[in-house]
Amino acid sequence: MNKPVTKITIVGGGTAGWLTAGVIAAEHLTHSASGVEVTLVESPDVAPVGVGEGTWPTMRGTLKKMGISETDFFRECDASFKQGAKFAKWVSGDENDAYYHPLVLPQGYAEVNLVPFWQAQGENTSFADAVSFQGYLCEQGLAPKQNTTPEFAHVANYAYHLDAGKFSVFLQKHCTEKLGVKHVLDHVVAVNSASNDDIKSVSTKQHGDIHGDLFIDCTGFSALLIGKHYNIPFISKKHILFNDTALAVQVPYESADSAIASHTISTAQSAGWIWDIGLPTRRGVGHVFSSAHNSDEQAEQELRDYIRPSLGAKADDIPVRKISFEPGHRKIFWHKNCVAVGLAAGFLEPLEASALVLVELSAAMISEQLPPSRDVMDIVAKRFNEKFLYRWDRIIDFLKLHYVLTQRKDTQYWIDNCRQDTIPKDLAELLQLWRYESPWHRDFTQVDEVFPSASYQYVLYGMGFKTHSRATARRSDNAELAQFNFSKNKQLSKKLLAGLPTNRELINKIHQHGLQKI
Amino acid sequence: MPKHQLLDNVSHKDLRIITEHRPEYGDTASYTAVFISELRDVQGHYPVFFRKNSETAQFEAIALFGFAEQENLYLDDMGWHASYIPLTIQRRPFLIGTQNVNADGIVTQQTVVHVDMNSPRISSSEGEGEAVFLPQGGQSPFLQGISSVLKTIDEGHQQTRAFIDVLLANDLIEAVNIKVQLDNGSQNELGGLYTLNEEKVAGLSGDTLMSLHQQGCVQHIHMILASMSNMTALIEKKNKQL
Repeated sequence: MNKPVTKITIVGGGTAGWLTAGVIAAEHLTHSASGVEVTLVESPDVAPVGVGEGTWPTMRGTLKKMGISETDFFRECDASFKQGAKFAKWVSGDENDAYYHPLVLPQGYAEVNLVPFWQAQGENTSFADAVSFQGYLCEQGLAPKQNTTPEFAHVANYAYHLDAGKFSVFLQKHCTEKLGVKHVLDHVVAVNSASNDDIKSVSTKQHGDIHGDLFIDCTGFSALLIGKHYNIPFISKKHILFNDTALAVQVPYESADSAIASHTISTAQSAGWIWDIGLPTRRGVGHVFSSAHNSDEQAEQELRDYIRPSLGAKADDIPVRKISFEPGHRKIFWHKNCVAVGLAAGFLEPLEASALVLVELSAAMISEQLPPSRDVMDIVAKRFNEKFLYRWDRIIDFLKLHYVLTQRKDTQYWIDNCRQDTIPKDLAELLQLWRYESPWHRDFTQVDEVFPSASYQYVLYGMGFKTHSRATARRSDNAELAQFNFSKNKQLSKKLLAGLPTNRELINKIHQHGLQKI
Repeated sequence: MPKHQLLDNVSHKDLRIITEHRPEYGDTASYTAVFISELRDVQGHYPVFFRKNSETAQFEAIALFGFAEQENLYLDDMGWHASYIPLTIQRRPFLIGTQNVNADGIVTQQTVVHVDMNSPRISSSEGEGEAVFLPQGGQSPFLQGISSVLKTIDEGHQQTRAFIDVLLANDLIEAVNIKVQLDNGSQNELGGLYTLNEEKVAGLSGDTLMSLHQQGCVQHIHMILASMSNMTALIEKKNKQL
């Protein structure tokens, strides 16, 4: 058992495989003789699913750590800036029903919770606009930085929209050329066990057996190692998050200088919602819905109706790709010497772009806590499983939050979403607590939460949630500080609206001139 | 709004250019781009920094003239008070343009001289300024001088960019925030400037230093470092204005 971990074999390419390879290879000096060896085996003719065209701001740090140039990333991945999400028609379903979940924290978030003060003002300005400037920037199609801002630095916090297919190719190139990752293009035909039930090797058609001290399952929905080999059960979450089908289209822009939205637009439908993601060369639009509440035909109709205003009659000709999925995740993610990352670990609807961030977090934890020896691997595996079960649960809670606060009663889907038996217990408790005390730093206990309490504030108060004011005063409720932050936000909004280029302008400049590293 | 025209001896045969330096003739900006080919002269008079071009975000070397936008402490009604004036100031109101030339079906780009006809340096009275063309249409000595300045600028762009690329590749440039306290107690802060990291320059390994030397960079690095002593003179100029 006391065997050093020197060789990692990743099965499956795609963004999950290559991100994981890159994060580990960069930290563990795979390019040098004294580092950990990383091999990625990828089937030559399995097309990646290519989910997740949206990231979290964490991706900036992930790319930087891998030694990637942000300029190259923009040029080669059809990438754009993402400053958050706009949720339309989620509350009442009316035409003007919309709220923002921006990526910047509320002004002064470390010192003061602005919610009670915003509520006391009579909520004349939307919560997001009262506490952050980012919704204004999004409405104007502005970029979150200037071309003189260095790579990965921001004026307003940002993430990315990207072409997942191009991103995989880009990462592959970086991993193999710069980081020393070995790439084997071959079919895995068998998984071979050692006497202790570890995976000893995977057999390939042409490259023989590929050994490894640790195997990472990035084989997507097929879950070759964690599912087919180890039979780790899959825990469905369909009773909480109903959506299980997506219809995706690619929508061309009217002209080469059409505005690129710097936020994801999520528009609620009769039994699901439509994502709308602007890349520099096209929009990616898709309808994700509950097959129990809507037919493919009806859902496709709603999707075509959505793109018709920008495409006219062509909206009926655009080809639609269907993706079916079971929302949920594996019971555990790390078993023996095998850990699942990406779709092999699980999948949820892309409402808050949680897919890629989970890949990053998984890769980061595997890399940071990479067991030096097999005999301590089970301890790290246990930690990993605890951590990620917590994370999946928090993500599920947070996604469900978007549904339970709706006032829509127009279809059974929205009514069912508010049924008590579909709401996780933890979330139900928090909602009860938040009726009396708005969420802030104390509510989420882990240092590296996927969604900070600020995100809960944006969704709750964006959707019209009411928190009662306390009957008694508290010293920490600093009204002066609150007013200072409200006016600071106003000043910043004005300044940034005047000083930032449009998203399209900045992306064009990055393509033409590039960004500086300093 | 500048009005750029291709210079020719027919439409501009009577063109005269005012060559004195005074605020009303422009040149009031607080910095100008400089090139390594003129660095020896520049560093004797001005502090040299780097700055990102606002259009392209590419680094350029600049000579600093003041602490606020449109503050040129070297310029007043009596003229420009330094014995060397950077090329990008000397060239005004002329600039380099490009023109596609079709010779036997092969299109090549040729550099040509443009003039900004809206510049305050365009003389409106006959006795004022330098003639650009001779009466028979030939180039005046003044224009010959300008042509040579423009040629140096054109070459300077590439040389200077290559030099800056070497500095960036060796991680020798860093952002600097300049805080100047004036005699009246006021604090002036100057952002957006970059300078050489002196510690990193001092810590360069022999091999790197040799390679920089072979690329002709070492002398320029030291001239830029030495140019910082002009900051004191610049602050003094500012204090005198208070």
